[in-house]
Amino acid sequence: MKSSRIFSKEALLAYCFVLPALLYMFVFIGYPLIYNLLLSFQEVNVMTFTKPVKEFVGFQNYIELFSKPGAIMPKIIMNTVVFTIGSIAVQFVVGFALALLFKNKFTGSSLIRGVIIIAWLIPVTVTGLLYKFIFAVNGGIINELLLAWGVIREPIQWLLEPITSMIAVITANIWIGIPFNMILILTGLTTVPETVYESASIDGANTVQKLFLITVPMIKPALMSVLTLGFIYTFKVFDLVWVMTKGGPVFATELLSTYSYRMSFDEFNFSQGAAVANILFVVLFIVGIFYTRIIQEDEVM
Amino acid sequence: MNKKLVSSVLASVVAIGALTGCVGSNKESSPTDAKDAQTGTEAQTTDAKAGDKTEIVIWTYFETPGQKQMLADLMAGFNSSQESIQVSDQYVPFADFKKQLSVGLTGGELPDLVIMDNPDMASYVSMGLFGDITDLIATWDFKDQYFEGPWSSTMLEGKNYGIPFATNCIALYYNKDMFEAAGITNTPTTWEEFKETAEKLTGNGVNGFGFSGVNTEEGTFQFLPWLDGAGAAFNKIDGEEGIRALTFLQDMAKSGALAKECINWNQQDVCKQFMAGKLAMMENGPWQIPTLKAEAPNLNYGVVLLPKDKKYSSCLGGENIGVVEGENKEAAVEFLKYVAQPEIMKESMLAYGSFPPRQDVANDPVWTDDPIQATFIEQLQYAIPRGPDPQWPSYSIALSTALQEVLTEGKTPETAAKDAQAKIDAIK
Repeated sequence: MKSSRIFSKEALLAYCFVLPALLYMFVFIGYPLIYNLLLSFQEVNVMTFTKPVKEFVGFQNYIELFSKPGAIMPKIIMNTVVFTIGSIAVQFVVGFALALLFKNKFTGSSLIRGVIIIAWLIPVTVTGLLYKFIFAVNGGIINELLLAWGVIREPIQWLLEPITSMIAVITANIWIGIPFNMILILTGLTTVPETVYESASIDGANTVQKLFLITVPMIKPALMSVLTLGFIYTFKVFDLVWVMTKGGPVFATELLSTYSYRMSFDEFNFSQGAAVANILFVVLFIVGIFYTRIIQEDEVM
Repeated sequence: MNKKLVSSVLASVVAIGALTGCVGSNKESSPTDAKDAQTGTEAQTTDAKAGDKTEIVIWTYFETPGQKQMLADLMAGFNSSQESIQVSDQYVPFADFKKQLSVGLTGGELPDLVIMDNPDMASYVSMGLFGDITDLIATWDFKDQYFEGPWSSTMLEGKNYGIPFATNCIALYYNKDMFEAAGITNTPTTWEEFKETAEKLTGNGVNGFGFSGVNTEEGTFQFLPWLDGAGAAFNKIDGEEGIRALTFLQDMAKSGALAKECINWNQQDVCKQFMAGKLAMMENGPWQIPTLKAEAPNLNYGVVLLPKDKKYSSCLGGENIGVVEGENKEAAVEFLKYVAQPEIMKESMLAYGSFPPRQDVANDPVWTDDPIQATFIEQLQYAIPRGPDPQWPSYSIALSTALQEVLTEGKTPETAAKDAQAKIDAIK
């Protein structure tokens, strides 16, 4: 019987072990989530802050985000999507390529691999500042190099133009993400037994065939989790963009995370800030569910 | 399976360990907390018997060595001037300042006094951070010595919530050597002269003029003199005057006379560019003087009034010191009274690189005899306050956004002004 199993001694013991983690999750994750959700359905801003009872306004805050004069919500969602897709696509391809490279042991391979990981270990704020200097109009290394090579005549105004500033923040984020992708994919690669490649060679498969017909299918679960984790990390990036552009110029690099912060702590419009954060949360929640599915499938395998 | 079991047990043990660790430390700390609280109340009731003092805490975002020293001297002076109150400070980074206060308001830790940028004061009064001290300062006979603009920024609806701590405004710094090299003998006084001068000084990696056009309060602060000078106002930008101001700045940026990179510069960055000789003129405040003295002692610069269009204008800056609502309000007002004394105020403002908010103190020869300081004092007459309005941050974002839109040529001055006005009109 199932019910007896739930209350068996062993099971009870197991629940005791899980309880602290559950409590922890409720207090530090559940409570803020619920609080934030309630906040987004109330009207809490600088004018209503001291009212003892906050007015319940339903979806008003969500509607206003899209309908108030000069509403930039659609633009911000677009920015966030562009930032995420742009970052992940390049991170993934380069990370994959590097993983394939480092799978082959060569002199100094572990040293170089270690050096590449530094990008992921540096505090993001520092990376942001570094890239702010790298993309400076005058004296920034990218402009200096391009000018010296004769690729451009006039310095590019990297962080001053909408499109180039987006390229700049994506570039910085790619740099941070490559080691993460590389390490996870490399770990996946080591699970593919060498014998499979050997027999493929005997059957006459070339390198490209081996890559797409053996490697990719065999490490597909690892690849999927790299992509979804990458999505989750990238979609909620805040510090990098805040340091590099503060969402500027004129909201060209404003993401959901920076907009939520700006709403809450610059404009004191706490409810709309919470509403933006919830939109961010819903997207990540869906991707998160997708991720746990993949992990489960992976374990079944 | 075994492995899984072992690892989950391990995880639980770690989790429980962490939890009990928490509880343990709580137990340890709670009795002392209680004791602290007890001594606190005791101090209040028995009025400082044997070293029991009311402790008050100030939050500031002061971070330069000069500012820190100034505050430390101020507090040391106060602590030794009387026996019943002990004041200390806590540094909160400027970038986190508003966030920490907002978090504090929803039930977190709050100080007894806050030194903050004056336009933010009204918002926090409205959110209930500051306590009404009108009655506590009713007996002060020197209240009317305070300049009107700064004083009004500490009030809302006729009630007092603090006092001005420092006051300042922005004026035009210029590099004398660059002016000489370009053969310019007169400093510009009108917008037309100013534009011409800036264009002449532009070239060879130097921009004629730079200010902070960043998309924050600092950008608004530096933009307002241009708006006001043309005859527009912070809540009326879409008229002919507002468009004229935006067009003027956009034209300057187009020709390079105004450094376009200014949209990413805060005022500190602007000063760095000026010190590095990349700007011939900058719009900045007197708080940069100590920095210029220390980091660029050989820079040959002068300060003049910002050029006028319809009228001279500047923006009123400076900090207020607000009293947080709570049981230590009276002790906090004692500290304000100490800070407000002419001699003390003079010393601290000299160290801070700002001006005393009291007329009688500002008349001191220390300021009136120094040509640069005197220029700032003159400029102060034309300085307009920001607000006071609890919704100031929303106005501010609309204005700095419009500024960025025209500087990056993303919108025409007409469209930018119209869009900003729509946002301003939507502020309830």
